[in-house]
Amino acid sequence: MILPPFQLHRPRSVEEALMIAGDCAGDFDFLGGGTDLLPNYKNRLNARGHVISLSRVADLSTPFRRLPGGGFALGAMARLRDIEADEGVRRNLPGILEAISQIATPLVRQSATLGGNLLLETRCYYFNQGYDWRASKGFCMKAEGDVCLVVPQKEICYAIYAGDAAPLLMALGATYTLVGFDGPREMAAADFYHPDGIRKSDLRKGEILTEVKIPAEAAVSASGYAKLRLRDSFDFPDMGVGASLRLEGARIEDLRVAVTAVSMTPLLFPEVTEPFRGLALTGELIEAVADGIQKRCQPVRNVMFPPQYRKSMVGVYTRRLLRRLGGVE
Amino acid sequence: MGVIGKRTPLVDAVKKVTGVGVYTDDIKLPAMLTGKILRSPLPYARIAAIDTRRAESLPGVHAVIHGLESTSRFGVLPVSKDETAMAVGKVRYVGDAVAAVAAEDEETALEAMRLIEVRYEPFEPILNLEDGLAVTAEPIHDKTVGGTNVHKAVEQNFGDVDAAFAGSAHVVSHAFKFAPVTHAFTEPHCVVAHYDHDGRLTIWSATQVPHYVHRALAEVLEIDMHCIRVIRPMVGGAFGGKSDPFPHEMIAALLSRRTKRPVKILFDREEVFLTNHGRHPTKTSMTIGATADGMLTGLDLKALIDGGAWGSFGVVTTYYNGVLCMGPYRIPSFRYSGKRVYTNKPPSGAMRGHGAVNSRFAMEVIVDELAEKAGIDAIDFRLRNLLPPNTTTVNEFRITSNGTREGLLKVREASRWDEKFRKLPPGRGIGVACGFYISGSALPIHFTKLPQSTAHLKLDMDGGVTVHCMAAEIGQGSDTMLAQCVAEPLGIGLERIRVFSSDSDTDPIDLGSYSSRVTFMAGNAARRAAEEIRAQLIAAAARLTGHPAEGFVARDGRIEYAPNPAVGVTFMEALTEALAGKGALIARGAYAAAPPIGGKFKGAAAGLSPTYSFQAYVAEVEVDPETGFVRVDHIWAAHDCGRALNPTAVEGQVIGSIHMGLGQALRARSSR
Repeated sequence: MILPPFQLHRPRSVEEALMIAGDCAGDFDFLGGGTDLLPNYKNRLNARGHVISLSRVADLSTPFRRLPGGGFALGAMARLRDIEADEGVRRNLPGILEAISQIATPLVRQSATLGGNLLLETRCYYFNQGYDWRASKGFCMKAEGDVCLVVPQKEICYAIYAGDAAPLLMALGATYTLVGFDGPREMAAADFYHPDGIRKSDLRKGEILTEVKIPAEAAVSASGYAKLRLRDSFDFPDMGVGASLRLEGARIEDLRVAVTAVSMTPLLFPEVTEPFRGLALTGELIEAVADGIQKRCQPVRNVMFPPQYRKSMVGVYTRRLLRRLGGVE
Repeated sequence: MGVIGKRTPLVDAVKKVTGVGVYTDDIKLPAMLTGKILRSPLPYARIAAIDTRRAESLPGVHAVIHGLESTSRFGVLPVSKDETAMAVGKVRYVGDAVAAVAAEDEETALEAMRLIEVRYEPFEPILNLEDGLAVTAEPIHDKTVGGTNVHKAVEQNFGDVDAAFAGSAHVVSHAFKFAPVTHAFTEPHCVVAHYDHDGRLTIWSATQVPHYVHRALAEVLEIDMHCIRVIRPMVGGAFGGKSDPFPHEMIAALLSRRTKRPVKILFDREEVFLTNHGRHPTKTSMTIGATADGMLTGLDLKALIDGGAWGSFGVVTTYYNGVLCMGPYRIPSFRYSGKRVYTNKPPSGAMRGHGAVNSRFAMEVIVDELAEKAGIDAIDFRLRNLLPPNTTTVNEFRITSNGTREGLLKVREASRWDEKFRKLPPGRGIGVACGFYISGSALPIHFTKLPQSTAHLKLDMDGGVTVHCMAAEIGQGSDTMLAQCVAEPLGIGLERIRVFSSDSDTDPIDLGSYSSRVTFMAGNAARRAAEEIRAQLIAAAARLTGHPAEGFVARDGRIEYAPNPAVGVTFMEALTEALAGKGALIARGAYAAAPPIGGKFKGAAAGLSPTYSFQAYVAEVEVDPETGFVRVDHIWAAHDCGRALNPTAVEGQVIGSIHMGLGQALRARSSR
C-alpha cells in the first residue's frame, strides 16, 4: 500500500492555507492527522493532486480553552490524545472525554485530530476497500462509479457517517467555526451534516473547520457516549449514542440525544426529546425516548452488523445511557 | 537437573522486541527489484488473452511474466499437486495470480501492472459448498471425484453405529456451520529471490516449511535441489498460514531468473487475506449416542468442507475432520463421511489445530447436551468416558499416556466448578470442554526413507556448541527448545549454545513447523546428537581421570564420576582432551518415523502420531441477553503436553491459542 503521488503543502496560517487552496482549482484535500485521509488515499479513493497539511497552523491545535463570557472551545487540529489528557476537558466535559477515548486506538489518537473525526469521510463496505477489490466488484458512485451498491440507485450515496465525537457535540449544542475566503461563519453542529454520503456536510470547498465551541451549560450537564462495535480494541462505531441531560431536581431541564453510524449523518432527535422537557425523569420516560429514537433510525446493510440488529441496539444503548446519566436504577 | 523444565526466555526474544531482528522484509540486496503480482478480478474465468507489451515498455520495468513462464505443478501434498506459479488457462478465484512484474520500485511495478491487458471469458463460479457436489462441465480442477468439484471424499466405518444408536437411551443430533477464519499473523508474506549468474537460486522466505518450498522450487524451475538454497529469516507468526509452498515464492524465483537480479515480493494485508489458507469453512452434522448412565455408544459425523480454489493440505484436512474428532473419549463405534469441495474462493489450508477444531467443537457441544439428558454433571460425564492410557481407539490410534483426567480434576478445582455449575445467576455460566491433538504425524508427507528431523552438532576449541537443524523457528520457540535439548545432556548452560536453523545449505532437513511436531521430533534429534557428543566427552574424562567411563555424568559444566563427584573435569577440560589430535567434534542425531503403529484400512495413517496431547478447559462467561455480547471472564486451561521443557514457552502457546480460539468463537469471520 503506497500513497499516490501528490504535492504536499504545509502552510503556517489559515490565511496561507486558504490561498494555497484557491490556487489548486479544487484538486486538493486539507490534511489533519491523516489517519482517515491517508488510508483512503492508499486505497486510491478520490485522491487529489494537492494535499494541504494544517499541522503547522499553530493556533488551531489548542485542545481546550475557556471562552470569554462562558463556554469552551476545542481546537480542530488538537490531537485527540491531547484533548483526552487536558484537565479542563476532564473536569468540564466528561462526556466528550468518554466519546474521544473510544475512538480508534491510543496510537491512532496520537495523530488523529478532533476536526478530522468531525469531518470523517463517510464509510461503507463497498467503498472502504482496495482498488482491486472495488474493480472486481464494480465501482460505486462514491468513487469512480455512478451507482450506489448498498441501495441500487443513482440519486444518493448511502455511506454512513461514523464519527464518534459529533453526536455528543450535537447533544451539547456545540457550534463549528468554519473559515473561508469570506471570513469565518458559525454553524450549529446539529445543522452541519447533510444526508448524502458524498456531499456529507455544509462545509464549502476551501473552507476550514477551525474550532468547536461548546456552551457553558455542558459543564453542568450529565453527558456520555455509548458505542456499539465488534472489537472494543479498535473499531469504528456500527452505532453510537451520545446524550446530554440536565436535571432540575428530578425534572428534565434539558435532554438531547444523537445517534451516529446508522445514517449518512449523525442524527439529533429534538422531536423525540423536547416533549419531555419539564417532566420527571423515570424509567418509563427513558423507555419512551429510546423507543421513539429507535423507530426513527433506518440503518441499511453497509457495515459489519446487520441493519435490524443495529436498529434494535439504538434502543438498548440509548436506554442504558440515559439510565446511567440520570441515575435511574 | 540443568535447563530442561526451567523457565527460559526465548533466545531470540530480545532481538524481536528491540527491533533488530531480521525478518524477510528487512533484507535489502544491491540491485534488488520489486515484484508485484497481478491478480484475477473474477472468481472463475478462462484467460482468453494476455498482452504484456505495454507493461514491458514502461521505463524501469525489467520483466513481465505470466502463467506460461512455468506450467509445472506443485502443491504441499504429493497426492494433490494442483497449483502453478501463475494461472495457466484459467483463473480460479478473485486474487489468483495472473501475471507478475519486476521493476525498479514499487510505484513502477504498480504502474506496469495496470498496463497488462487481460481478456477473460467468465465461467459460472462455484461459490457455495453444495453447488460443488454436482457434476459439472467445467470442474475447477482436472482431478476431481466423478466430474464434480469434490476434491476428496472420505468414508470410514468402525463398528455398527446404527445398532449403537438403536440401543442408546439418548441420541443427540445437530448441524453446525463454521465460518471461514484466517490466521492474521503479524508479518505479511514476504520473499526475496536471487537467481544468480552461477545458476544458483537463493530464496529468503517467511515460511514454516522451508523444505517443502525447496522441493516445490525445484519442480517449478525444473532444476536440481542442490542448485537451490532456502533461507528462512525470522518469521512473524504463521499458525499454518505459511505452511504451503506459495505461488509468490515461485514467482519471485521466476522473475529473478529472468532478470538475474534479486527480486522482493512483499504482500499488503489485502493480499494476505486473499492468499488465505485459513481454516476451512465447514458444515458439520453430528449424531452421538449414550447409554442411560452416560456412556458414549457411537458417533456419526458428516463434514462438508470448503477447500476454495486449491488442494493445499486438503486431503489431510478431510481426514482430520473425522479421525481427530473422538479425541479423549472412548467411543465404541464411529462412522465418518467427509467431503472437501473445490470452490472459486481463496484457498483454505491448515490453521492451528488443522482440521480437528471444528469437529471437536461440535462434539463437545453435543457431549454437554448428552450429559444434561442423562442428568450427569458435564465434567463427571467426561471423566466417565475418557480413553484409558495405553490403549487403542476404535480406528486404531495407539494412545500412550492420557492426562485428561488429571486436567479435568485440576480445572474443576481451580474454577470452583462444583460451586458454580448450574448455580450462577442468569446471564452467567460456566462450561467445560476437552481437547485432543497429534504431536506430529507418524507418516511424513513424502514417502522417503529420510528421517523426519536431523540435527548436527559441532564443538571446537572455543567451547561453544553449534547446533544445525532446519526446524523452523516461527515464534513458537523452537530455537530455544533445540538449545535446551542440546545443553541438557551436555550438562552446560544455554550461553554456550548457538542455534542455526534457517539455511538449507548448512542445516540438515527438518520437515517443517506444523502439526505440533517440532519439539517432539527435532528435539529428539538434537538430544540424540548431544548424547553422542556427551559420550565423547565422557570418554575424554575417563582418560583424564583413569576412572571407568560408565560412571560419568555431565552436569553443572562438569563431567563427573557419579559414585564420587569429586572426581571429574570441567566441560572445557573434557572438550580439550576430546579434540586432541582430532579437531572439531561432530555428531548427528535424527528422529525417524516409528515403525507402523496403526491400522491397515484406507486412510489408516491419517491422524496417527507417535504421541498425543490432551487438554481440559473451563470457561466462565457472561452474556448480555439484550445485545448478545459475550464476555469471557476467566479461562482455566490444563494441558497434558508431556513434560514442559520450557514452562514459559508452553504458557505462551496456551495463552496464544486461547486468544485465537476466542477469536474464532466470538468474533472472527472472513468475508468471502
